[in-house]
Amino acid sequence: MRNPFFLTYGLILLGLVGYAEYSGWSPTAVNQLRNVPKTIRDNPGAYRSQYGGFHRYIGGK
Amino acid sequence: MNSALANPPVVKPKAISCPNCGGPVELRGFANTLSVVCPSCHSILDTSTPAVRILQQVQIAERIQPTIPLGSRGTFENTPYEAIGYQIRDTLGDEGDGWSEYVLFNPYKGFRYLAEYKGHWSYIRAQTAFAQPATKIGTRRQMALLGRVYKAFDSATAVTSYVLGEFPWRVKVGERVRVEDYIAPPHVLSGEITSNEAVWSVGEYYTGAQIWQAFKLPGAAPAASGIYLNQPSPYTGRVGSAWNLCLLFLVALAAMAFFFAVRAQDKQVFDHSYSFVPGSTGEASFVTDYFDVTGKTSNVQVKIDTDLDNSWIYLNLALINADTGQAFDFGREVSYYHGVDSDGSWSEGSTHSSVKVPGVPPGRYYLRVEPENDGTNSSRLPIRYDLELRRDVPTWSWYWIAAVLILIPPIFTTVRSASFETARWRESDFVPGHAALEDD
Repeated sequence: MRNPFFLTYGLILLGLVGYAEYSGWSPTAVNQLRNVPKTIRDNPGAYRSQYGGFHRYIGGK
Repeated sequence: MNSALANPPVVKPKAISCPNCGGPVELRGFANTLSVVCPSCHSILDTSTPAVRILQQVQIAERIQPTIPLGSRGTFENTPYEAIGYQIRDTLGDEGDGWSEYVLFNPYKGFRYLAEYKGHWSYIRAQTAFAQPATKIGTRRQMALLGRVYKAFDSATAVTSYVLGEFPWRVKVGERVRVEDYIAPPHVLSGEITSNEAVWSVGEYYTGAQIWQAFKLPGAAPAASGIYLNQPSPYTGRVGSAWNLCLLFLVALAAMAFFFAVRAQDKQVFDHSYSFVPGSTGEASFVTDYFDVTGKTSNVQVKIDTDLDNSWIYLNLALINADTGQAFDFGREVSYYHGVDSDGSWSEGSTHSSVKVPGVPPGRYYLRVEPENDGTNSSRLPIRYDLELRRDVPTWSWYWIAAVLILIPPIFTTVRSASFETARWRESDFVPGHAALEDD
């Protein structure tokens, strides 16, 4: 084998892609909250998103 | 194998007296030696006849000791050879940057030669066959000998500047000969051409370490400098091999993409349209109905489609598991603007967007949605938006990223190989502006 490094590198890459696809894994995982109370359904405004208020206007020329 | 070849008897050298200084001169090549340099007075003696005569008297500025001492024995092709002669040759017009040549002798095999330049060595044997012109590459000549084709590399006039020991020809200091080099690494075809004859020899590249091992010399060989004309490229075969492997990986990647695309559910689990009035007062957030996300833990794609027109909307989203209370919290801004100005029509942004939420376990879910738009940059017309959720969607970006990463090693190897060859040919006549060894 003339390219043992490339062989290893390529196999690792294929393995990572296969794992990512199989498990639905992503490096850009979204934030997760646990134990969101069921009362949120009755009062959605009580939910405190980690993204609330982070939006900004970027449109327009 | 002939035992005489494998273990040749050590033969005592023949001794003569120098006719100039009377000093003893040893002849290790016996009748094969046509000239020898007196180690005492440095006269070059003609030994081709029993009456030894002075061929040339040489005034030397300093005695140069060969790296391989004359009389040393080294083994090449399973045959021992003795170093009996040494000469330094310079390129005419470029004196002081010469190369060394050693004459090796085995009484049963005859003469071989070693050439050394800046730590690069070639083991050379003279050829009785004549090299023949082969098909040219552009204007560059090629020569063929014994089934191997060599590319023209350089040509020059070589001048012998220093001699020591014995030679199978009548050597002279100051002797000039036209030399042409053609290469097929690790081999080099060298022609020494005079008006009367052309002598061809084929050399094979040796590292200093190999020479040191062959002669069992003490210490380590001096490090080689630069890239030599017949130095084998460390990338020979690796470029093609890397691209073949790359092709295999890309095929495997495509097969994997096909497999996962076929296997993926890509199933719609939720789809609903909503509208939002910018600047409206009151609680904007709401929750959707329950929907089931099935299958193994995988991604959920949220697709947002709007009717935005010179406006924007920010959707603060949470995908909440109704049973466990686990929430995937994310947000997306969608904006689309267009118009006409002095540069013509323009547009930016898009009316739709999507996000993939990875690693979502199966279960009963609902969405908590909080649309935002301050209403300052748009009319207060309602913004319609549609939310569609799909389960277990193939992530094509993985394959594109992997394909690009897989291309890096062969490209890198190709570039390194090309750099090596560029460095090799930079020393040749075939750099821009050079016309040597090219036909008109």
